[in-house]
Amino acid sequence: MTETETRADRFARELAELKIPDPAAQRAGLWLRLGVLMMVLGLVLAASAYFISHNTTDPLVQRDALALALGGIAGTVVGSALFLRYSLTGFLRFWMARQSYDLALLADRLFERDLNDGFASTDSAPR
Amino acid sequence: MTATTLLELRDVRAGYDGITVLQGVSLSVAAGQVVALLGPNGAGKTTTLRVAAGIHPVDSGRLQLAGRNVTGASPRDLARAGVCLIPEGRGVFPNLSVRDNLLMMTFTGRPREQIEQIAYARFPILAKRAAQAAGTLSGGEQQMLALARGLATDPAVLLLDELSMGLAPLVVGRLYEQVAEIARHGVAVLVVEQFAAAVLDIADHAAVLVRGRVAHRIQPDRGSHAELAALYLGSTP
Repeated sequence: MTETETRADRFARELAELKIPDPAAQRAGLWLRLGVLMMVLGLVLAASAYFISHNTTDPLVQRDALALALGGIAGTVVGSALFLRYSLTGFLRFWMARQSYDLALLADRLFERDLNDGFASTDSAPR
Repeated sequence: MTATTLLELRDVRAGYDGITVLQGVSLSVAAGQVVALLGPNGAGKTTTLRVAAGIHPVDSGRLQLAGRNVTGASPRDLARAGVCLIPEGRGVFPNLSVRDNLLMMTFTGRPREQIEQIAYARFPILAKRAAQAAGTLSGGEQQMLALARGLATDPAVLLLDELSMGLAPLVVGRLYEQVAEIARHGVAVLVVEQFAAAVLDIADHAAVLVRGRVAHRIQPDRGSHAELAALYLGSTP
């Protein structure tokens, strides 16, 4: 077996092992929407539970409302986590790339300034 | 024996903001092959490379790596698998030293010593410049560093965008000798180049992209330069 085949075979094997998400599934978008839905639904549940508990004197119903409110808040927390995970990661990646680009740009400017200073120092004209 | 096709684009259409740039590009690169993608400005060469690297989404068509459909896969996944894009403009960190630029490639899991060994064996001049800021290297040396960084990822598919940009012909010739050597080790190389003469010496075959379509496929030989000139000028050779 030649070296060529080895690398090509390894590439094929690694690709086969790689978990590439099905682009048609668009899971990231789905999770993001689910996160938003859970956040809103959780808040609505919590608010509803408040009104349910205030419109009754039955302690059993009030306890149910309490459980409903807690479930709603938990849903909001999970939804927020999902939303942050699938919305902020893209932004953070972009932010890191931007930082890296800005640093490179700054280095270029500093280098250019140093070059200009170098040229200026050889100028015999009084300053 | 037929070499395995590592990179294949099938009838790929892609564009920007509703404007279709690639209008059904199909090409393939086998292991150990150098394929040149030529064409005038705005033909869609860089977009083709970006699609191949997974950076640019495909509107329709397929991107296949080693026979597997990876259309829509993230560039991170493709890079991890062994696809390496060296973009136009070298893509080195100018404020970091040569050694630190190479150190950045340890994310691949390779130890620093091994990365430096690969880089310095291929480009001995980089060893002499190890402590020097990458931004202060000559254009050719920066391109060598970019190539060395690419090689550190142990690529199976190497995508090169305008390697010759801003470089003297002699330096370009030496760089392409290295590219040919890389291909001989089983790497599939797709080179985008505006200056055809630079790459035709090492390419196994070339595809000429005109207005988002592969207008012609040529076998590099003495007649190919005249053929190319005719295609660039819009006439049929």
